Amino acid sequence: MSTVVEMLNVTKTFGEGSSIVKALDGVDIRIEKGEFVAIVGASGSGKSTMMNLIGCLDRPTAGLVKVAGEDLSELNDKKLTSLRNLAIGFVFQSFFLLPKTDALDNVATPLFYRGVPAKEARKKAMEMLTKLGMADRHTHQSTQLSGGQQQRVAIARALVTEPSLILADEPTGALDSNTGKQVMDLFEGLNREGITIVLITHDLDIAKRAKRRITLKDGKIINDERDVA
Amino acid sequence: MNILIAARLAFSRIIATKTRSGLTMLGIIIGVMSLIALVSVAQGATSGIQDQFKGLGARNLNITGTTNQSLTTDDVKEIEKLSGIEIVTETVSGRVTLSSNEASTKAQIIGVDQNYKTVVDPDIFVGSFLPDVTNASDARLIVLSTTLATDLKLDAYSIGSSIAVGSTEFTIVGILDDADGFGTRGTAYIPLETAFKYVAVPPYLSSITVQTTSEEIVPEVTTNLTALLKARHNITGEREADFVITDASQLLDAIGTVQQFLSLLLGGIASISLVVGGIGIMNIMLVSVRERTREIGIRRAIGAQQSQILTQFLIEAIVLSLVGGIIGVIIGEVVAYFLAQLGQWNFALSPTMILASLGFSMFVGVVFGVWPARTASKLKPVEALRFE
Repeated sequence: MSTVVEMLNVTKTFGEGSSIVKALDGVDIRIEKGEFVAIVGASGSGKSTMMNLIGCLDRPTAGLVKVAGEDLSELNDKKLTSLRNLAIGFVFQSFFLLPKTDALDNVATPLFYRGVPAKEARKKAMEMLTKLGMADRHTHQSTQLSGGQQQRVAIARALVTEPSLILADEPTGALDSNTGKQVMDLFEGLNREGITIVLITHDLDIAKRAKRRITLKDGKIINDERDVA
Repeated sequence: MNILIAARLAFSRIIATKTRSGLTMLGIIIGVMSLIALVSVAQGATSGIQDQFKGLGARNLNITGTTNQSLTTDDVKEIEKLSGIEIVTETVSGRVTLSSNEASTKAQIIGVDQNYKTVVDPDIFVGSFLPDVTNASDARLIVLSTTLATDLKLDAYSIGSSIAVGSTEFTIVGILDDADGFGTRGTAYIPLETAFKYVAVPPYLSSITVQTTSEEIVPEVTTNLTALLKARHNITGEREADFVITDASQLLDAIGTVQQFLSLLLGGIASISLVVGGIGIMNIMLVSVRERTREIGIRRAIGAQQSQILTQFLIEAIVLSLVGGIIGVIIGEVVAYFLAQLGQWNFALSPTMILASLGFSMFVGVVFGVWPARTASKLKPVEALRFE
């Protein structure tokens, strides 16, 4: 098994002097390929900071963070951006589809940024939308889609780049419980196909659907439990 | 991300925010419109004059006396002996009152010889120019400019009728087309010999026009003419000559300079409004960057490089200014067309001017788009994503 995310004694602080805040305080984790991990914690526990680090959106103040084998501290903005594009598939709470852009191009956009020719990128995007049952909505813009449909498009966008991991930040937070359940079913299915999924949530019921739960409190890992297969 | 996709994004964004884009472009539209219209006025107005001088012919040299008694008919006889000269025509002029049955007016009367028609080739509106009257002793024939004919309350049917030049009756043989003849307004033409009888004192001439055999020898002939006339008029050393020789090229050069100056002046004024339009674009783009902070965050998260965000916003600014420029060119040309109708000069589409305007508006887009685009590209993804 190869390691997708590796954190060694990671500290992340914000602010300076007396107003300094330790968001993460000596965190160690390893996430292997094919895992389905939920990172759980109350607000202020450091899970957003954790997400930003795993998502290659930020660098640690101290300690080592490796994503897909790359040490984040050694990467400049350009390389960090490329790593995000190649290794991470983001799924956000509020879907974050691009405005004024149809579903097909929303899914194709990460490939555009990678330099894939438009025709090929759209072909792949269409395949991914088809896989998620959204093919007939490919011309719709986000305003013309329901929350569940938007999240499916967002998941298609996350998957289209064949990333090392899917990083989902409260993916069901803006959905009703039934639609949220369907999204979680989808994640379970994807994980069975071998896709690594990291879920950030404060909702324990959602976290229970993952196979491993890492609980954060005040920037420290207080629990790391795995389902027994 | 290739440029095409960025351009398409920019277009769809502009269409999606029609009103705002339209208002943003307005500055550029007005700027380019005034640039095109004003420069076309400068060029149209002066090229009309230029064409008329070209009508005088590039082979023609015009000699004018600086006093009433500088040039004489004997000068002409000597000039005709010079080499490289095709034809010479001489004129005299005087101011006389013309009277028809219904009106009278002061006019410039020019006496011309039979060569005048060949050299100057005046445009006839109705009737004909003066016939060859070399052997007639007292040919009281007259050709009027349209302006004069109008002042005298005459019309096209007046050909063959008579008017009084001073106290002498002349027969009208033709009316000139003023629109095309420079300096013909308010002018009447009569045969040279007749002029010497009624309006001028022989042997003094007011001007001599020389047509050379080719354009290339104009400078050479000018030198020879100057030497000849100086010798004949006993002008030696530093004394100033009592005549001036001009050729079309000097006039064309002078008009060209005026045209350039006018174009630069008017174009400069119009450019200021283009710059103001550019600031308008910058302003809106900065607002747009702020409004779209989260979109920028999403794009950065899914792998947009800073350079790609920069390109996207820059292209948007360029598309705004370029589309504004294109609309401005269209409106500007329409305005220029109507101004040309009003001013009675030729309307001509100038590809150089159109391309220059579009180039300039694109330049404005780049210059004023860079700052907002840089601001957008420098946003931190984490903060941009959290932006409400």
